[in-house]
Amino acid sequence: MSTDRDDTDGVARQRPMYTESQVIMTTVKIVVPFVLTYGLFITFHGTGSPGGGFQGGALVASVVLMIAFAFGIESTRQSLANRLVVGLGTIGVLIFGGIALVPLALGGNFLEYTEYYPVLGSTLGLKQYEFVKYGMEAVEIGGIAFIVAGVLMGLFFLLAAGVTPPAADESAGAAPLSEVTATEDDQDD
Amino acid sequence: MDNGGRTPMTGAASPLVLQTVGITPFELSLFVFVLITAVLTALFTDVLASIVIFAAYSLGLSIIYTFYHAPDVGLTEAAIGAGITTVFLLLTIAKTSRPTSDDRFESIDWPAVGICTVFVLVVGSTLSAFPSVGDPGSPILTNTDVTGYYLQTAYDETGAENAVTAVLAAYRGFDTFGEAIVVFAAGVASLLVLGREVFTT
Repeated sequence: MSTDRDDTDGVARQRPMYTESQVIMTTVKIVVPFVLTYGLFITFHGTGSPGGGFQGGALVASVVLMIAFAFGIESTRQSLANRLVVGLGTIGVLIFGGIALVPLALGGNFLEYTEYYPVLGSTLGLKQYEFVKYGMEAVEIGGIAFIVAGVLMGLFFLLAAGVTPPAADESAGAAPLSEVTATEDDQDD
Repeated sequence: MDNGGRTPMTGAASPLVLQTVGITPFELSLFVFVLITAVLTALFTDVLASIVIFAAYSLGLSIIYTFYHAPDVGLTEAAIGAGITTVFLLLTIAKTSRPTSDDRFESIDWPAVGICTVFVLVVGSTLSAFPSVGDPGSPILTNTDVTGYYLQTAYDETGAENAVTAVLAAYRGFDTFGEAIVVFAAGVASLLVLGREVFTT
């Protein structure tokens, strides 16, 4: 933990941020399927048990974080299309907004799930209160979980930009180091 | 303890009522753990150590939430507080250098400690106004206008066994929509602030 403290001397650590570790890779390989399953379980069972789209979406995003830590942030970044991350967030907003706004068009209130009943009730064969239940699940799964998973993954890759060497144009991260050390030295006395 | 008058209420809230009023050794150790980790987070000079201890603090907090029958909050605290926030903080300090000081702990700023103590005393003076944990006479259990309404009708009206989800996604769905949009806006704002056009490549 403090091995590189003496040689920093106000300069950035030269130690590579990613070291390939058999222990971490094996652990992540074993844990990831369970975390992913648990995240999906929490998302899909939000109406019946503790949790919901927010917690489930965060767990699903944490799977990507774990993989990135074990197998390298840059290689994970390259295998995850920007389209997927942005798509999760925007589609989530569209689904949530769509489910919320359609009842307005049908003459009801914002997010009034029962407004779907006269239109779709006979087609889907559902009772009125069941529209509330499945409406909530649609909002939790297709709305909140998508948004949270997408945004958390995106924030992770944004923050991680420049931490690991490659990606040519990302050298800007090392610039403000002198200021940081200066302020920290001020606090020490 | 006379529960005869409020059968539907106590039926829904019986786990709370069964809780003994007063503090058990388990709760006490959790509180002490959370307090110690909170103070240590402020005291350590090494930011990495602070972040790791902060994760432990969040973990302790999530156990406390779960222990007090708020598993939804506990799950959020464990996933966001102990997990993802820690990763984000680690990524952030990875871009900075560590202070060269060899001190393990920060030197204590006594005026700041004094102000904190006064603040704790002021906030703590309101503690006696709170009902005990699990007190069947507490407003949250006797107020049938709000809490009681949700607990009694949430299942019939929404078909959701988890009343928390029923409140979040149905009764207070507009607020949740706003929260989801805030999360989305946070992602967009981060792109703007960092001057990037893509999250990944």
